[in-house]
Amino acid sequence: MLPKATPREELLINLRAAYARMWVRLRGSNREITGLVAEIGLPILTIGAYVILYRAIGLPPTAGAAVIIGGAMIAFWTNVLWNMSSQWFWERESGNLEMYLVAPVSRMSVLLGMAMGGSVNTSIRALGIVLLGIFVFQVPFQLADPLSIGLVFVLTLVALYTMGMLFASIFMLYGREAWNTANLLQEPVYFLSGAYFPRIYAPVVPFALQAAGSLIPMTIGLDAIRRLAINGESIATIWPHIIALIACTLILFPLARRALNYMESLGKKEGRLTLRWQ
Amino acid sequence: MAVADFVKSAGESFRVGWKIESNWTDPVLFATYQVIRPLASLLIVAFIVIIGASVGAAANSAFYTQYLAWLIVGNAFYAFVLQIMLGMAILVHVDRTRYEVLKNIYISPGTLHPYVIGRGLVSVVNGGVSVVLTLLFSVAIFNGLLHMNIPLNLLGVNLLMLFPAVILGIISLLAIGYMLCAVNIVSNRMEFILGDSVSGIFFLLGGVIFPVALLPSYVQPISNVLPITFLLNAVRESFGLLPAGNYMSDLAYLGLTTLVTLIIGITVFRLAEQRAKKLGLFDRKSEY
Repeated sequence: MLPKATPREELLINLRAAYARMWVRLRGSNREITGLVAEIGLPILTIGAYVILYRAIGLPPTAGAAVIIGGAMIAFWTNVLWNMSSQWFWERESGNLEMYLVAPVSRMSVLLGMAMGGSVNTSIRALGIVLLGIFVFQVPFQLADPLSIGLVFVLTLVALYTMGMLFASIFMLYGREAWNTANLLQEPVYFLSGAYFPRIYAPVVPFALQAAGSLIPMTIGLDAIRRLAINGESIATIWPHIIALIACTLILFPLARRALNYMESLGKKEGRLTLRWQ
Repeated sequence: MAVADFVKSAGESFRVGWKIESNWTDPVLFATYQVIRPLASLLIVAFIVIIGASVGAAANSAFYTQYLAWLIVGNAFYAFVLQIMLGMAILVHVDRTRYEVLKNIYISPGTLHPYVIGRGLVSVVNGGVSVVLTLLFSVAIFNGLLHMNIPLNLLGVNLLMLFPAVILGIISLLAIGYMLCAVNIVSNRMEFILGDSVSGIFFLLGGVIFPVALLPSYVQPISNVLPITFLLNAVRESFGLLPAGNYMSDLAYLGLTTLVTLIIGITVFRLAEQRAKKLGLFDRKSEY
């Protein structure tokens, strides 16, 4: 019988697993330059269309700045959907899932590695989108408090990727539903999060819509970042956003852990963990 | 006889494609799925216009209601672009890498051509359902619920003007989808980029949510060679949202651009097919 690992050894091996998974993600996503160029260039097409629409209906240039930040945040949502939520589905299709399941590490450390790699990768792309957007569309920003922007940004990413961990667990046993569900969660979330609106928390937007949108961490973080970066507001005006983002993380993380354990156990009972081409 | 075989093969391909697209869930959820995405896209642009109207940004309320009608029609028919581009761009990858059947289809008597057409027609049906549902929901939401009096009369559409434009538009989009399949046959790195790239370019340059005249002048010549530009013009004319006087010229340009894309599409596909056969690409694996 193998000796039981000490808590320190267990922690170290899980951290190493997270690092290894992050490394694969960073390496895999950045070795193909066409992918990087497309992931920065493609959102600019959509952002450009909305900036021109804003101009067509006479909204001020700050609305263009709002849509550029929204477009950059959408890159994170897309990453959460396709590279976090659907990841177990891809792994099962390519035959890797069983290897993860027999590895002597927590599945949460694998998800953590995916989240860290995904957030670093997407941050590079989001920065590219913002810089290219500013260069092409010449929109104004007021970066009075960059540290606060950084803080809100990090809190938003943590909450968002924790949500991704929860979705990954729920999607674990999906077949083609994974693909279709990820597709389904694109435009409706772009709408609910107000990514392409100047502001979601505006009087003209129905309260029910604002409430539904607030269930998505991106909506809260996006509004806070826009207030700081476009309106030049201080951190004192966005403390409810910060509390909400921390609360989202604290609620979603244990949920993700429980969902993962439940879905794994269900998959074992139903024999679906290695089932391909569903 | 050859035509009958082609039609039969395309029909079988359509049947397979429809099952793959639809039988992952129950019909109600599938129908919901079909309507939610285009409706959400529409609501995004509609709310931008509503927010613009609420701050009194540009003009009087009549401007906004007319603009909203113009935008709803453009956005609804853009569903054809999205469905066909995204569906056909991923087709080769899924069949070659995931299901590993592309080589079997290629060596079958039917060959790839009717197969691609049949699968493309599934996207056309999905797009058609999205268009109809989006238009119905738009009228129900903006005129029924929000009482915005948008000048959009679905019963007053001139079908004789609408159908030729839509048929030509679909042929041109299928021809472009054909090109995407061809690119994917000889490449294994573009499958997740191509559909979004082409549909994104069409969204920006095709006059979907704003008139082409608002684009920078150096980009407008590109818009004026895209079939989608003339398709949307002709469709809006059939809905009475643009002067009908330009309909025949728009239809003629649509026909011309469709013919050109069709010729290019078939040529590119044949070249890709030859190259793939020479290099043994029909059974290449790209996922491990």
